[in-house]
Amino acid sequence: MAEKILRIEDLTMQFGGVVAVDHFSMVINQGEIVALIGPNGAGKTTAFNAVTGVYTPTSGSVFLGEKNITGLRPDQITALGIARTFQNIRLFSSMTVFENVLTAHHLRRTSNVFTATLRLNAAEEARMRKDTEELLKRVDLYEFKDEMATSLPYGKQRLLEIVRALATKPKLLLLDEPAAGMNPQETEELGEFIKRIRREFDLSIFIIEHHMNLVMGISDRIYVIEFGKQIAEGVPEEIQNNPAVIEAYLGGGEDL
Amino acid sequence: MSMTEKKKISTPQIISAAIILAFYVLVFIAEQTLAPTSMIFTVLKKGATYALVAVSMNLLNGFTGIFSLGQAGFMLIGAYVYAIFTIPLAQRAAVYQYYNGGIVQFTLPVFIAMILSGLVAAFFAYLIGLPVLRLKSDYLAVATLGFAEIIRAIFQWDKIGPLTNGSNMLRLFPTFNDFNIKNSSGEVVVYLSTMVPLLISGVCIALILMLINSTFGRALRAMKDDEISAEAMGIHLASHKQLAFCISSFFTGVGGAMLAMYQTTVQAKSFTTAMTYEILLIVVIGGIGSVTGSCLSSFLFVACSEWWLRFLDQKQVIGGFEVPLLRNGFRLVVFSIIIMIVVLFFRQGIMGTRELPDLFRKKRSAAKKGA
Repeated sequence: MAEKILRIEDLTMQFGGVVAVDHFSMVINQGEIVALIGPNGAGKTTAFNAVTGVYTPTSGSVFLGEKNITGLRPDQITALGIARTFQNIRLFSSMTVFENVLTAHHLRRTSNVFTATLRLNAAEEARMRKDTEELLKRVDLYEFKDEMATSLPYGKQRLLEIVRALATKPKLLLLDEPAAGMNPQETEELGEFIKRIRREFDLSIFIIEHHMNLVMGISDRIYVIEFGKQIAEGVPEEIQNNPAVIEAYLGGGEDL
Repeated sequence: MSMTEKKKISTPQIISAAIILAFYVLVFIAEQTLAPTSMIFTVLKKGATYALVAVSMNLLNGFTGIFSLGQAGFMLIGAYVYAIFTIPLAQRAAVYQYYNGGIVQFTLPVFIAMILSGLVAAFFAYLIGLPVLRLKSDYLAVATLGFAEIIRAIFQWDKIGPLTNGSNMLRLFPTFNDFNIKNSSGEVVVYLSTMVPLLISGVCIALILMLINSTFGRALRAMKDDEISAEAMGIHLASHKQLAFCISSFFTGVGGAMLAMYQTTVQAKSFTTAMTYEILLIVVIGGIGSVTGSCLSSFLFVACSEWWLRFLDQKQVIGGFEVPLLRNGFRLVVFSIIIMIVVLFFRQGIMGTRELPDLFRKKRSAAKKGA
């Protein structure tokens, strides 16, 4: 059995009287692509936010490898090796493509504000720039490097957000609806891209997605939640034929 | 634009450096030739002071996204620290006449005192930042504004009079005029009273620029663009905000020391909220997010308020005809109208977010075609 990279144990996330995530548990093994699906409002993004530290779970724990990361700040969790993208694109709008990716290297700096201001960190700065350059070349975004990030076509902005997350050197990448708003052609390319970065960057990937073709095409395992509760777990074929999942998506037949 | 991402010094940067150098040379020549009482030197001295404070404020408002209105408070701290530690021992009895010569019985060299001004301002900023930086936008602005008012009241408090001289004036400390080089008989050989403040301000602004262009500057800009996303990129919001707040306050404190030198006297009651608004106005007119803009608009602002519009405050008689409306205070009416015009027609300020080298650069798209 492969090493467990992420373990969520009995996670509950409550906002006042609303239980957004209800005693949810899951694991992601090293190198896996795991999808989290469910109808709108099922609590998928809330689960993501609880993993990445945006929310502190009401109860339950999250482990990265052996380390308990429950309740840490988002920046601490990113430093430990979980990077994420957002459902609605959140690029740095005043920056170029290059600067967006370069900023993600700030995390791994060894300089302090004095050495950085007085340019005593020239070697580190040069390395950051070189890494950024290489990363952009690898994903074919180098030709856009001096464009403003928000002036890129929509699909490229999604791609850039993933690349920026990669620049933090994560072990686990969380993608929140990366194919939202993409056409079938772009979605297919995205699927190939996700498989490619898993291989090339030695990643595990946790993905929320509504495009079923994409989910079924790239996932090793799938978790399905509805009203914050897990209703199914398994490989894509199992999920496709699971009556509970079909009911959750297509609705029950109580009217008839 | 060069194909490699190595930082090369580009032609626009060379042109900009040349312009700045030429400016300093011109000021030096002007100072040796024109009468020292010329209004231009007043404008340059006060402009240099305001430029530094405006750029510090811009570091917060324009580059970090922290809307702070505590500038007058930090300038006050800087001005007082400078004055307290530089008044010559022989003069202390006269200055602190109600407090037996005060409790500080030593003096520091001018430049050390200026750095201390910045450090003390930064220390206060650190303490205030702990609670205040948790607030967002308007709330932060109100809290920092309140801080400045409290500081102003505290410094006039009678009980700490031996240190601050209470509500009395601090004076007789070294001013800009003491930078002039004199010969043994007391005649000025080389005039530097305008040059030195411009140099101090220039060095400080250069440091701020270097910070903005470093990896820390990128992190600050990222926070301004999108805090949630910046945090997800591993940037610790609280510590970076605290850092920006302390650095900005450091330079505001140095600016306060310069203001003390410019005014030749310091009194807490003059560091009002109106002073903060003047700085804010300079930042907005220059362009939020442009260091060049803040510098340019400082000099323009000071020139307008101290010099070019002064004639509006006096009766003017042209060919036996007395021009109507001109009387004491009319200058401020015209000034307000000019500001309204600027805000209406130059929403982004004079420079927007551009810097000096950008003016000599081809448009981004054109540059890309050439590459």
